[in-house]
Amino acid sequence: MDKIQLIDTLPNVFVNRDDVVSDIWNKEVSFERGKLYLVEANSGTGKSSLCSYIYGYRHDYQGRILFDGEDVRLYSTSRWTDIRQKRFSLLWQELRIFPELTALENVNIKNKLTGYQKKTQILEWFEMLGIADKLDAKMGRMSFGQQQRVALIRALCQPFDFLFVDEPISHLDDANSDIMGRIMAAEAKRQGAGIISTSIGKHIELPYDQVFNL
Amino acid sequence: MNLVWKLLRQHISIPQFVGFFFANLVGVVIILLGVQFYHDFQALDKEDSFMKASYLIVNKKISAFSTLTGAQQTFSKSDVADLKNEDFVERVGAFTPSSFNVRARFDVQGFVNFSTEMFFESVPDDFVDVASEAWNYQEGSTQIPIILPKNYLDLYNFGYAQGKGLPKLSEGILGAMKLKVQIAGNGEVGDFDGRIVGFSSRLNTILVPEKFMQWANLKYASSENTKEPTRLIMEVNNPADERITAYLQDHDYETDKEKLDASKTTFILRVIVSIVMVIGAVISILSFYILMLSVFLLVQKNSTKLENLLLIGYSPAKVSFPYQTLTVGLNVLVFILAVVIMCVARNYYIGMFESFFPDYTVPDILPALGVGLALLLIVSIFNIMAVYGKVMSIWKRKD
Repeated sequence: MDKIQLIDTLPNVFVNRDDVVSDIWNKEVSFERGKLYLVEANSGTGKSSLCSYIYGYRHDYQGRILFDGEDVRLYSTSRWTDIRQKRFSLLWQELRIFPELTALENVNIKNKLTGYQKKTQILEWFEMLGIADKLDAKMGRMSFGQQQRVALIRALCQPFDFLFVDEPISHLDDANSDIMGRIMAAEAKRQGAGIISTSIGKHIELPYDQVFNL
Repeated sequence: MNLVWKLLRQHISIPQFVGFFFANLVGVVIILLGVQFYHDFQALDKEDSFMKASYLIVNKKISAFSTLTGAQQTFSKSDVADLKNEDFVERVGAFTPSSFNVRARFDVQGFVNFSTEMFFESVPDDFVDVASEAWNYQEGSTQIPIILPKNYLDLYNFGYAQGKGLPKLSEGILGAMKLKVQIAGNGEVGDFDGRIVGFSSRLNTILVPEKFMQWANLKYASSENTKEPTRLIMEVNNPADERITAYLQDHDYETDKEKLDASKTTFILRVIVSIVMVIGAVISILSFYILMLSVFLLVQKNSTKLENLLLIGYSPAKVSFPYQTLTVGLNVLVFILAVVIMCVARNYYIGMFESFFPDYTVPDILPALGVGLALLLIVSIFNIMAVYGKVMSIWKRKD
């Protein structure tokens, strides 16, 4: 997939508000594959909503969202499943990891589905992000910052055209943020994918092609 | 799939599933046993293949009074016509008695030598359920097909043979043996070979084909043999019909009451088996309800996990699979165990059937297997769809 277009998109909850000033809502915006985008936002401006609309698990918006010119409202269940396995990867703000499983199992549950990354690569990322000693630790017992790093590794265990990261470094120090940024950028570059990153303050330092204010 | 199962088995309530398992097992066993018992019981009844259950034999009551006064024991033409007019009667046939002397000798080399005076009767051939080739008499032939009352065999086996230390005979062995028949009357004597085509527990007479009877009555009997029949055979719609009993009472007729009772027994048995099966079905349905509730509860408790799996790219089918396998697996287990229990329970009553009726051929268990498999299939398909439906509702909940 090469292009995501938002045409006059607006969350239903904002419909009756006339004070919506945004670079994205109620505008015509497009995200292209291979480019890096930063979406800056204050809380409550619909940052997570944006991710969920594009990722196809919420449809409470008006306007249109097009993938390569095709309206996503027409997508079937199997089409969305296919997109989530091969086209988009999303690092949720709330992570959506499984606390009952260990760190490595959380990554594997995705990688077994896609069969995309080699085990050596996964272990290397654990190493780089400084959580190699947590491989077999239960996710539920780890700090949120550690969980964020595991969630990133999981997000990279699939082919994608676009990588969405929703406040990926909210609980990370600068050093770890830098490492995360480098890993993400390298993997996106290797796959020729675009990155759409959101933040409410602190953001990953990347050579962004475009910055939006939500 | 292993990791997914590790995730989704959380919150599985073993007591709930054990509860379902045993409740459903009880229900299915009752249903299967009901089906099979009815089938096995009907096989008992089939023993008498010569007379359908809907046939009744009617005669006039013989009382001390009628014997003294010499009142007519025979059915007149108007009696028959009147009977034919009744709604519950399909058709009526008359018994034709032999008007000549019959002597029969049974010769089994060495050990049985049996000779007796006897008689023949015939009914219209279409009342006899024997393949027409077997129940056919060619004029001039010395072969006569014969149907004997089952009582005769029982008398021999349990009375005579027992007392004399002779071997017991089965229907099969007797059927292969010849009965030497000598017919005399009207100054003529004829020798015939009786071929026993079967035994009837319903007909208390020695039956030969009507064609033979007509021929023999002409040849061996004295001229006036247009006797009125003393017994009638009739086919009725429903042997349990109250009007039959009433009609017979009104006209002072008797019937092979035992048969009426027997058909009532069959009818009552069918009702009882149906009731028992309905109870089994209710138990099964309730247990199925427990299973569905447990699964729905499980899905509810694990809804976050299910949702996250869907969001990281698992298809609804893949996410449903573990719970579908769980329920279908339980169903299969119940089915297998139910069939085993049914077979064990069946052995008890089959043994009883066999000791009472030596000629009982044990039917197969296909009816129970069929019903069991059908239940398994229906319930499993329903489970699979219900689980998928629940997962899809999680998929769509974000709408």
